[in-house]
Amino acid sequence: MRVKLIEHFLSIGVVSLILIAALFISKAGTVKKESPAYARFSDISFVDCNNPFHTALLHDVYNIFYPGRYDENKRIVNELIREKEKQFRLSLMTSHVKEGLTGRKFIQLGGMLLKFVLVYAVVMFLTYYGVQTFGVWRFIRRKRQVALRLENRPAGFAVSCITLVKKIAQTGVYMLLFSPAYVIAYSIRTEFNTDTVFFVVLLGVVSNGLLVMYTNKFYTFLMTESRKGYVETAVVKNCKNSYSPHDRDGIPYREIFRIVKRFDGHVFGHIFKNAQYQYISTIKEQASFLITGLIIIEMALNIHGYLNYEMLRQILYANYDIVIAIILGIFYTVKVTEIVTDILYHRVSLKYENR
Amino acid sequence: MKLIRHKDKAWMGIWLAVMAGVGVWDVLFLNKPALKQVVAGFLNTFVISLLVVIITLACGWLVTICLYYLEARRNKTGYLLLTFLLNLIRSIPQIVGILFGYILVAYLTGKGTLQSPTLVFPLMAAIVSLFIFIELVDLMRERIEYYKRLDFYSAMLVCGIPESRIINFDILWKNSRLHIFNKLISVFGISVFLQCSVDFIISVGLSTGVSSVNLPLTLGSLLAKIDSKQDILAIGHTLTHPSYFPNLFFGHLQGVTVAFLIVFTLMCIYHISNGYAERHRL
Repeated sequence: MRVKLIEHFLSIGVVSLILIAALFISKAGTVKKESPAYARFSDISFVDCNNPFHTALLHDVYNIFYPGRYDENKRIVNELIREKEKQFRLSLMTSHVKEGLTGRKFIQLGGMLLKFVLVYAVVMFLTYYGVQTFGVWRFIRRKRQVALRLENRPAGFAVSCITLVKKIAQTGVYMLLFSPAYVIAYSIRTEFNTDTVFFVVLLGVVSNGLLVMYTNKFYTFLMTESRKGYVETAVVKNCKNSYSPHDRDGIPYREIFRIVKRFDGHVFGHIFKNAQYQYISTIKEQASFLITGLIIIEMALNIHGYLNYEMLRQILYANYDIVIAIILGIFYTVKVTEIVTDILYHRVSLKYENR
Repeated sequence: MKLIRHKDKAWMGIWLAVMAGVGVWDVLFLNKPALKQVVAGFLNTFVISLLVVIITLACGWLVTICLYYLEARRNKTGYLLLTFLLNLIRSIPQIVGILFGYILVAYLTGKGTLQSPTLVFPLMAAIVSLFIFIELVDLMRERIEYYKRLDFYSAMLVCGIPESRIINFDILWKNSRLHIFNKLISVFGISVFLQCSVDFIISVGLSTGVSSVNLPLTLGSLLAKIDSKQDILAIGHTLTHPSYFPNLFFGHLQGVTVAFLIVFTLMCIYHISNGYAERHRL
């Protein structure tokens, strides 16, 4: 565990150093270079380039100071006027987009990062709950189907029709869950307000295939566990093993949908706990995928005040110091998640391995 | 019947049939320029994703072998350096890494440094692979670790079989290729998803020098075009005006087709990968 922590902190240090160095380089790189021909004459702030009297006066002054080069002086004055006009136009165009990493901006970015982390924590909790709940539900449904098949109930025409309708509905739900966030968001943008935190959370949970993929992973862990020898031993030793919701020894629906799931005295309780232990190592992967999903959502929805949209905006305006600061914030979020997951996994491992 | 029994083959069949159906519908009802763009976007996306799979496999295999030998030869510095680098890449959200990679490609293409698609396609695929191949490395290392714990490995060494042959051929090829192939199916899916997302995001035009116009047309960038966006917005309109629904398949075909191609492909890849794992009991 110590080695892993050292590795994490080392990578935090190295990346921080690289990015902070890049931040200073990008700040230093913004110093403007001027054309050498008129560079030494450009700092004449009192000259109004739009005033013909000022420009004529300037030309005369040049002729007095640099006699015998009339054409050259005229060219320098014209170039100077053009450059001043260009700079004025550029300042008009970029005055609202050029930003630096000031203290105020830093606090603003901190607020956005906090919002991102909060949304991330909420979505992480919801998906973790969803993955476990749907995984358990799917596993129990499968067990019930197997039990029904053993009873050899004939499937009539009505049952076949219902199954077909169910399959079509299932495909529809799958297609919704596999839709990238921007497809869902743009599909309903005309009818709903998609610029709210609630909507970002909702999209984070239901889009990009996150819920389906990790539910399937958890379900696979449950299936693998259920095939192990200790399950059969527990059944032989009279541990409860009915999956019907109506049986006294079965698993009622409310147990499946509880936040903290407990299946005391039932063989499934052991299967569930062991699958949960295996799943902890997948949390890191899930968190990483979730962060990718949230970044896509925030960037694609173009909502002001969100960290990743701000990053996209700042890339567009070439404010690279702010972009680097945002990347650093996201990197720290990922790293903290990795450290927390590793500590959690280590603790649970100690418990499971009786150390 | 055998095809239906195998979930992966059945889904592959469904995907091909639906793609063919969509193709025929578009030929009949979508205007020629738009159809040309949809076909180009679809092909480009799939060619790049296939390249991602090939590069991921090559890089994954190479890095796994490197890590194995560095560990076996007790070269601590090399091993730590490589794992550190891998962990560093792992800590960068895939989308951020690929976004910056694509910006670089678009910038180089815009400047004229990169012109030929034979260079742009592999470069784009390499960028996506860089942030995915670690998953394959993890799988391959897990497989090697698992087989090393068995008598199988020691017995082969005692029989005089070279270590490189045991690792490369007996463990990774003979006993893990199904696992690797299954991982590559999901790599293909992740690649389609990430590519479409990044292309959609940068299609807003990050600056005058960096624009998706400089990149090959993909499904993501096609979806971000204003007419496709309006087609997608029309889907929402049908939620409150159900009678408008049939118009989606005639008047808004470009956007609806592109969105459907992305979503349906992702879903089918998931089912194919799942079915493949179930069929081979992975």
